[in-house]
Amino acid sequence: MAEDSKEPVKLVLYVAGETPKSLAAIRNLEKICSEHLAGKYKVEVVDLKKQPQLAREHGIVAIPTLVKELPVPIRKIIGDLSDTQKVLVHLSVEE
Amino acid sequence: MTVVSLASALTRDELEARLYEAEETLRAIREGEIDAVVIKGGATEQVFTLEGDGHSYRTFMEAMDIGAAAFDADGQLLYANQALCNLLGRPAGGLSGQALHGMLDAVNQTTFRRLLAQALKERQSSEIHVRVGDIERSFLLTGAPIDFGIGSGVAITFTDISEREQTAAARESERLARSVLASANEAVIVCDRSGMVTHINAAAERICAEGPIGKRFEEAIALTFADASELMSGGDIVAMAVGGTPVQGLEAAVKTSAVDVTDVMISAAPLVVSGDRTQGCVVTLINLSQRKAAERRQALLMGELDHRVKNTLAMVLAISARTASHERTIEDFQKSFSGRIQALAATHTLLSNASWENLQIKDVLSVELAPYATLSSGRITMEGLDVSVDSKTAVSLGLVFHELTTNAVKYGALSTRAGKLSVRRIGLVDDGALQIEWEERDGPMVTPPTTSGFGQTLISRSLGSGANGGTKLEFRPTGVVCQILIPKYGHFHS
Repeated sequence: MAEDSKEPVKLVLYVAGETPKSLAAIRNLEKICSEHLAGKYKVEVVDLKKQPQLAREHGIVAIPTLVKELPVPIRKIIGDLSDTQKVLVHLSVEE
Repeated sequence: MTVVSLASALTRDELEARLYEAEETLRAIREGEIDAVVIKGGATEQVFTLEGDGHSYRTFMEAMDIGAAAFDADGQLLYANQALCNLLGRPAGGLSGQALHGMLDAVNQTTFRRLLAQALKERQSSEIHVRVGDIERSFLLTGAPIDFGIGSGVAITFTDISEREQTAAARESERLARSVLASANEAVIVCDRSGMVTHINAAAERICAEGPIGKRFEEAIALTFADASELMSGGDIVAMAVGGTPVQGLEAAVKTSAVDVTDVMISAAPLVVSGDRTQGCVVTLINLSQRKAAERRQALLMGELDHRVKNTLAMVLAISARTASHERTIEDFQKSFSGRIQALAATHTLLSNASWENLQIKDVLSVELAPYATLSSGRITMEGLDVSVDSKTAVSLGLVFHELTTNAVKYGALSTRAGKLSVRRIGLVDDGALQIEWEERDGPMVTPPTTSGFGQTLISRSLGSGANGGTKLEFRPTGVVCQILIPKYGHFHS
């Protein structure tokens, strides 16, 4: 792998309050992190319902969206994260 | 062109990334993986959810009084209203994630998951039990499909049925208590705190006054306590039990219309229905009548036995003294004395075999004549002697018959082969005494004795004298004849 394995994966999940897909994305991400990234990740959940201006930083259009900030390159995964394999490929941690 | 200038400002990789992002956004929208978008309006961003009309379910649920929650198609909680949080003892918003499932044990979780799955298709109801704080509560859950606009799920309402169940359980428990009361063999009376009878079973009804419910305990049942007579009443026992002090095993006599109940053993215990407060008392009465009757009979028999032993000893002393004064030698004394004591013993044996009751004249006579009856068969006749006598009369008759028999064997009809003896009932005389006659015939010629021995004294005195009873001895030349009168009270002539 290209990235330093010691560097934690930094993720930002953009949600819109408690919409069903937002809740599903939070749940799916928790599951993926605990099963595949144990101890190697840092997640920030941003509620754009409360702070819509934060969408600007990563140019978020659709919610939910997961942004992998670190390690670079930045990657966006759009949707409720129900396809675990696809998420792992994008996070470059597939086993 | 803008596109050219934009494109030229970005690297190829960046362009590819943007293209990919755009395609992914479209795919996610198409596949229903997103439910909100960010719209840029001037300098600010705004978020619009795509839940459409479905969003209003939250507003609707929040307005409901009963607990309600929405779950997505995977059974994950989307929303729980304030009423449900209150019902389950959680703060507002305290049921997110797995909190609701976490409150259920394995069995109720299974029930709940089954309901979630079934309610996706059609309306379903189930009952679950949840421990809220320290209390086990029962809920009736009704689930129905709900459309969220961008998907479907299940809406479930929670109705607290704990009270309804408790009422049903209480009713069942009351029913059980009543049947326990009714089935008890012992008499059971339940009183309230003021000592009024509230419940009573069939066994108790038999020994209580009429319509005992609502009466004071001491009015419902008339009890007297042998050990404390005036000092204690039924009301005192109830008061003690209501005050928290159990009373156990007191014996009392009961006045009742039921003839087979005269004595009871009473126990009373405080009645605690819930908590520590005494609601009244439960009094149980065990029928002791048979046991008490047996005890009284036993005491009577002991007294009677004591009396008889004393009488017998006095009689033995008298016989000994009188025999000694009439006999000249030790040998003569020994013979007469032991004969008389044996006669006494024989009558006693008869009496004890017949339990000191219902001994007949012929039994007493037979036992005296037994040694001679076989030798003299046909010579001795008895007639109409199947008359019952009391024990005192039996003892006296035994001694009289003994003296007469001894005399007959020594000097009279039983001393020769030709002699005959007849003992028969003559009948009742005017004053109710029963007359029987001892008559000897065909024996040796009889001459009256010059002196009167103790035998004669005994014969003449044994059954008293005068009109009520006694004996009249005649020494006729043809044989001894003795008229015996048994007083009215000594025989049971039918």
